[in-house]
Amino acid sequence: MRLHQYVIDAAAASPGAVAVVGPDGVLTYGLLDLLADRYAAALRSRGVGVGDRVLIWSGKSVHAVAVMQAALRIGAVYVPVSSANPVARVARVARDCAAAVAVLDSGQDGRGSALEERCGVPAVAADELLDLARPGSRPGPHRGEPDDPAYILYTSGSTGDPKGVCLSHRNATAFVRWAGDLLGVGPDDRLANHAPFNFDLSVFDLYAAFRAGASVHLITAELSYAPAELVRFLAERDISVWYSVPSVLLLMMRFGGLLDTEAPPALRACVFAGEPFPIGQLQVLRKAWSGVRLLNWYGPTETNVCTWYEVTEADLARTEPLPIGRPACGDAVRLEPVGDAAGAEAEIVVEGPTVMLGYWGRPPRQGPYRTGDLGRSGPGGVLEYAGRRDQMVKVRGNRIELGEIEAAISTLPSVADVAVVAYGAELETGLRAVVVPVPGARVTLREVKRHCAERLPPYMVVDELRVAAALPLTANGKKDRAALAAGADGAIGGHRAAPAVMDRPERPAGSDPEGPP
Amino acid sequence: MTNEEIGERIAGYLHGELLDGERDLRIEPETPLLEWGVLNSMNTMRLLNFIREDLGVTVPPAMIAGRHFRNLAAISDLVSSLSAAES
Repeated sequence: MRLHQYVIDAAAASPGAVAVVGPDGVLTYGLLDLLADRYAAALRSRGVGVGDRVLIWSGKSVHAVAVMQAALRIGAVYVPVSSANPVARVARVARDCAAAVAVLDSGQDGRGSALEERCGVPAVAADELLDLARPGSRPGPHRGEPDDPAYILYTSGSTGDPKGVCLSHRNATAFVRWAGDLLGVGPDDRLANHAPFNFDLSVFDLYAAFRAGASVHLITAELSYAPAELVRFLAERDISVWYSVPSVLLLMMRFGGLLDTEAPPALRACVFAGEPFPIGQLQVLRKAWSGVRLLNWYGPTETNVCTWYEVTEADLARTEPLPIGRPACGDAVRLEPVGDAAGAEAEIVVEGPTVMLGYWGRPPRQGPYRTGDLGRSGPGGVLEYAGRRDQMVKVRGNRIELGEIEAAISTLPSVADVAVVAYGAELETGLRAVVVPVPGARVTLREVKRHCAERLPPYMVVDELRVAAALPLTANGKKDRAALAAGADGAIGGHRAAPAVMDRPERPAGSDPEGPP
Repeated sequence: MTNEEIGERIAGYLHGELLDGERDLRIEPETPLLEWGVLNSMNTMRLLNFIREDLGVTVPPAMIAGRHFRNLAAISDLVSSLSAAES
C-alpha cells in the first residue's frame, strides 16, 4: 500500500463524496484526485523527481492537501511547515532537507523571495504552480516501494537545528490502518483536523478519512485556540471523530462552554495525544460525554502512535494519571532500565512498522527507537508515562527542545549565557529565559521575544525573562535546570521569589560585580 | 468608546496580563505583536476573551485572522468597527 492510493481508490469508488473542507473551499474525492494530478504534472514540469523533497510552507488549505498528494504521486517526499513559522526557520528546514522546491500559499508576495534569498531553494505560490500544468493533466502515479520515504516532519532539535523525522509509506499506512480499524472509520464519518500538517496528529485526520472515503474538516491556525469557535465548529460540522492535544479540549471546556450543552450528537470518538490529560478534567469530560469513546494515544513523532488506552467507566474512580496503555499498530514496546541502579527508571523503547526510517541527513535508524520517555508497568501490565530523560518539554502539546530556544537566544550579542525552563502546569505552562548579559549590556524581554519570533515557531517564543549574574550549575558543570525550574515554580502566583542566584531582574550584570556566584 | 480608548484598554490588558507588567516592553500602535511574539495562539485566545468579556464585543471566527491582530492599531480598528456595527 502507498499512502497516496487512498485518495485514488476513494475517487474511483465515490468521486462525488466530500473529501476535504478548508477555508479555501470544498473538494470532493473526484476533484481532489484531479487537482492532485494537475499539481503532480506541474511539479514534474518544475523538474521535481522521485525522492526529491517538496517543502510545503502553508496554512490549512485544501490546496496544501492536494500538493501533498501530488508530491506522493510523483514519488517525491513532502515536508510540511506551518505558515506560522518565520522565514529563518523555514530556510533552515529547506536547507537541511535540500528541498527541490518550496510551495507557498497563494497571495503571499514577498515570503517566497525572502525564502529564496536565504536558502537558494526556489519558491513558488500554489496558484502559480498550478498554472504550469493544464487542467486534466494525469501523469500517472509513480510505482514506489513501501519503504520509500513519504514525508518528513521537522521537530525541535536540542542543538538549535530542527530535526527531520523521515517516515515511509509503510510507517504511515501501518498506523492509518490500525487507527482506522480501531475507530471503525467509515464513509459517513466527518473528521476534524486540528493539528498543523507538520504535527503527526494530522496524519490520522487526513489519511484515516481518505482510507475510508470520509471527509476531513481543516481547522485554521487562527481558529485552533479560539475555544468558543471550536465548540461551534464541532457542532456545525457534525464532527464524528475529533483528535487533538488535551490542552485544546481543556480550553474548550474552560472557555468555550463545551460541556454547557449535551455532547455534540454526531460525535462518537474523541482521541487525544501529545501530553497527559489531567485526570480530574478527564473525569468531568467522561461524565458529560458518556456515549463518546475517549482514547489516549501515545507516541513521539518518530514512532507515531505506539501505545493506546481507552477510557472506561472504571477510570472515574482513578486518582493517578491515565495510562498510555498497550502497544498499537503491531509495534513492540518495552521498558529498558536506565543505568544499573536497582529500582532505576526505565525508558520506553519501540520497534515495529511505524518506527521512522531515521532523521533526514543522518545515518538510517538501526534497531529499536529509544524514545527518551520514561515509563513503568502499571496494574494489569498497562504502560504508564513517567516523564522525560532529557530537556524536551511539552507546552500545550507542542514538543520543544529547550536547547533550540537557548541556541536562538544565545545569538543575541548582549547575551553571554542563557538557560530556558518551562514553568507552570497544563494550560498555564510558560517558558522563561534566564539570561546572563555580557558585561555592560542590557537585555530586555522585548528584544528576546522579537529575536525568538524571528527564528522559532510562535509556541517557542519565551513568555518571561529573568536576568542573572550567573547560571546555577550542577556538580558536573551542567546548567542546573532543576534549580532554575524550582525558582520558576516559586514565581507563580505573584511571588517573584526566585533563588538568590537569579534574583536580579532588570539589572545589567555589569553593575553588580559583587553578584552571587 | 473611541478608537483611542479601545486602544488604551487593550494596551493595558496586553501589558498587565500578557506581559506580566514587564517595564521594558511598551506597546505602541504599530508594534508588530505577532512578529515579535507578543501574541501567540494562547495569548490571542486570552485577548479575545478580554474583548468579549470586558469590551462586550464578540469577534466572529472569520475575523480571527493575522491581519486583524498584527498590531494594536489593527486590533483597535477591528474592535471599534465591530462595536459600531453592534450598536
